[in-house]
Amino acid sequence: MSNTTELKKQIKSMLVENLMLQIGPEEIGDDQPLFGPDSLGLDSVDALQLVVALEKNYGLKISDAQAAKGILQNVNAIVAAVEDKTRAA
Amino acid sequence: MSRRIILVTGANGALGRAMAQAFFAESPDNFVWLGIHRRREFADELAAANPGRCRVLKLDVTDAASWQSAVAEVLGVHSRLEVLVNNAGTHDDALLAQMRPESWSNVIAVNLDGVFHGCRAVLPTMISQRSGRIINIASLSALFSPAGQTNYSAAKAGVVALTHSLAKEVARLGITVNAVCPGYLESEMLAGMDDQARQRAVAQIPMRRFGRPEEVAVAVRFLACAEAGYITGSELKIDGGIF
Repeated sequence: MSNTTELKKQIKSMLVENLMLQIGPEEIGDDQPLFGPDSLGLDSVDALQLVVALEKNYGLKISDAQAAKGILQNVNAIVAAVEDKTRAA
Repeated sequence: MSRRIILVTGANGALGRAMAQAFFAESPDNFVWLGIHRRREFADELAAANPGRCRVLKLDVTDAASWQSAVAEVLGVHSRLEVLVNNAGTHDDALLAQMRPESWSNVIAVNLDGVFHGCRAVLPTMISQRSGRIINIASLSALFSPAGQTNYSAAKAGVVALTHSLAKEVARLGITVNAVCPGYLESEMLAGMDDQARQRAVAQIPMRRFGRPEEVAVAVRFLACAEAGYITGSELKIDGGIF
């Protein structure tokens, strides 16, 4: 399994565990929006938890709401941000 | 009861020290970080008298960076923080027409900005823990604003409003946020009051006496306890029946 595939799996599990979602990680699509129509139905409090969890687990600091909007679009965007951070380190 | 890690700001003052004592009395395992800024003599005495149960922590509540380093110090030792009591406060009374702009901004900075910075600094930890208690010390002046305290009343009313709003934001994360509104207390806040003014103030209080810091501390300890988990976004008046 590639690093990216493994990371996607981890991020999906993190979403389910931290946000107490009533679905399995495998049910979350890589490109499925996290917020808005046809999304996982997350809200701003979920986003707050995600920001904290991403910093704690991956050292990814999301400094403001604008940055959060860009990164927390879907699993692919989160994975890309974590990988960028890892490469930069 | 398991050990809880508590941070009290303004811990050199009578109310802050009374809160620390209340948490010590609750459990011998509790650990209290005594946040102080310029003056520290009483906090140092308290820490010396309670070795292994508290530590003095340098903290300028008006400065976000100072909060970040203070919380990092707490987490460096304990890796967690269950309770924040935003108690640091100041007043600088004057009629608004004669109030210096610096008096306005300093009172707002300490009493209101300080609460904002404090909450912001501890929330990532409390969100990760999925538990936490934030108790903001407001004042009866937030609800019953006397002349000569536009700055203080506005700041404390802001603290109450912040408490209501933040409580809603973090309610489902296991974090409660409440405010306590003391009336007249026997503390350094009233030290400058002359006898005549004290008599006039006492006459307004149905209980005909000023409150004691210990009587506020016990309410703070209650709001901080695990069993108070369904109380959030409240403001508790402790004023001898004034309001």
